[in-house]
Amino acid sequence: MRGFVRLVVAQATLLRRNVSYWIPTLGLAIIVMMVFGWLFQVGTQAFSLGIVDEDRSEASSALVQAFDGLENVETKEGSRSHELNALDDGDRAAVVIIPKGFQAALAEGRSTLDVRYDASNPVRTSYASATVEAVVDGFNTRLAGESGPVIIQRQDVGTHRVEYIDFLTPGQAGLTLLWGALLGGAVFITGWREMGILRRLGVTPLRPAVLIASQGASLALLSFVQVAIIFLVGRLAFGVTIHGSYLLLAATLLLGIVCMLALGYIIGSFLHTLTSASAVANLLAFPMMFLGGSWFPSDSAPAFLQPVIRAIPLTHLNEALRAIVNQGDGLGDIWWNWLVLAAWGAAGYVISLRVFRWQ
Amino acid sequence: MLALEVEGLRKRYGDLVAVDDISFGVASGELFGILGPNGAGKTTTLEMIEGLRRPDAGRITILGLDALRRRRRVQERIGVQLQAQALWPDLTVSETLRLFAALYRRRIPLPTLLERFALADKAGALVKHLSGGQKQRLAVATALVNDPDIVFLDEPTTGLDPQARLSFWELITQMRTEGKTVILTTHYMDEAEALCERVAIMDHGHIIALDSPREMVRSLQFENTIEAQLEGEVQMEALADLPAVRRVRRGDGTYFLHTNDVAASLAGLMQLAGRDGFAVQGLQVRTATLEDVFISLTGRRLRD
Repeated sequence: MRGFVRLVVAQATLLRRNVSYWIPTLGLAIIVMMVFGWLFQVGTQAFSLGIVDEDRSEASSALVQAFDGLENVETKEGSRSHELNALDDGDRAAVVIIPKGFQAALAEGRSTLDVRYDASNPVRTSYASATVEAVVDGFNTRLAGESGPVIIQRQDVGTHRVEYIDFLTPGQAGLTLLWGALLGGAVFITGWREMGILRRLGVTPLRPAVLIASQGASLALLSFVQVAIIFLVGRLAFGVTIHGSYLLLAATLLLGIVCMLALGYIIGSFLHTLTSASAVANLLAFPMMFLGGSWFPSDSAPAFLQPVIRAIPLTHLNEALRAIVNQGDGLGDIWWNWLVLAAWGAAGYVISLRVFRWQ
Repeated sequence: MLALEVEGLRKRYGDLVAVDDISFGVASGELFGILGPNGAGKTTTLEMIEGLRRPDAGRITILGLDALRRRRRVQERIGVQLQAQALWPDLTVSETLRLFAALYRRRIPLPTLLERFALADKAGALVKHLSGGQKQRLAVATALVNDPDIVFLDEPTTGLDPQARLSFWELITQMRTEGKTVILTTHYMDEAEALCERVAIMDHGHIIALDSPREMVRSLQFENTIEAQLEGEVQMEALADLPAVRRVRRGDGTYFLHTNDVAASLAGLMQLAGRDGFAVQGLQVRTATLEDVFISLTGRRLRD
């Protein structure tokens, strides 16, 4: 235990002094948040929503009313051709068309809305679509009490309004863990092996499991500091709120670190030079970074990539972090993500302890 | 009591037999040297004893414990300084020592260690800012943090300047006076001769001689060696027949004449050169050392 504590302290000291390791990861994270955060801030600005009521019924005007008074949304009512022209000109983020026969169809249990989006601005579009869906959702819920069946079901909109920066911040935290722990796990163990330090420790009574655990603990400490800074920047610069439990967030982060570290150790156990280990770690980290959905959602990736995306631990880490931060979800909602992360982590430690060599 | 006993130790890497069935014992409190050229198997032997490598065959008993079965118990009581300077460049001297100390149950207080290895004024300095000699002292200090009963030093003075080497010899002698058993490998003849009570000479994975340095030199039955670079037709028999020459060996263009009377042998050599028409390009005369023991056993120099 004494050895473990000393090793953690020593490694934390080494990490702290190794400025070239942690400044770039953290710096990159903050730059990404600043750039993307400001670049895609459109969502927070007011946008116009066109509404075309062709039904002119009680139900349709109730729906139109539901769009009134939304924060940052300016609703315009007009004819179909006028509103669609405005959409073409970029003056509307979306146009909601309530077709003729809306109420009649509703009475029968099914009715459709025709919503057109301005595809030229994906961020504004995603914000607009989230707004439309939220409003329709609310409309449905109210309606459900009276006339029963819910009409339009597209996709769940979070209980909290999610802007791009809210999506980005947990993703960036996940990405920082990936870089920090995966690369750290792969590089430090091989670096120590190359320097002969592992050999030196191999002639002491130190157990490999204690060494590996202490390295994990010190990298976890560093990652916690980095992630805390990321959330702080998100909060101070962009007002990102953590809706869920801090404890659950911390536990998820820890699980993520343990898992990424394990992957790093697998690399470090099989590749015995610093350059090859860091090359392979990069090779693994880059596709993970893009497929794991840290910066952009990966739901829209082609179907053949989906199995890969679902297998990537970063995907699950990001999902779990977003669920906690953005939706305030509990363990019941993210247990599957936890399970995948834990499975990866366990496999990593079993493999790396099996192939561990002091030299 | 034997501090260390090795029996029938063997290790092969693929086709290469690095250590081939060696056996030796080291008495408690002895300063024991393993001497040999690079690749002789010295380091592999030490690594097996220290628990870094598993031997293919053989038994190792350290302080009465089976070192292969009770590895951690044994490692608790030994101190090891490895060939490479395996230290963290970004830790300070005292951080390094505290870290190593935390790995053992038995510990020497940090100030005592710093004092003893003349590192007290460098306690707060980063390892990367230390001189070669200071690093070496720190490396040995890390081997002594647990006040070990046996200390293993693998080529401890390689790469040190002469002054640092001498002060290092003092440290080793001091360990000896504290009653520690010290086992060191070296490829420096003079080091083995000056420090070690007994020396095992290794070559190609075998121990080819094991005795005190003095006995080894005495067993040569000559006092001096003439190293001569000769060019032309040289008859080995003629060299062997020179006055007072006990033995002749031939290296790469160099002839080693082992003699009891340097003057007589040299005069004879010059005469012979005139008669047979070979040229004497270089001459060196020295008292017999462990180097000659190695040459007389293998026909090669240690540092080749």
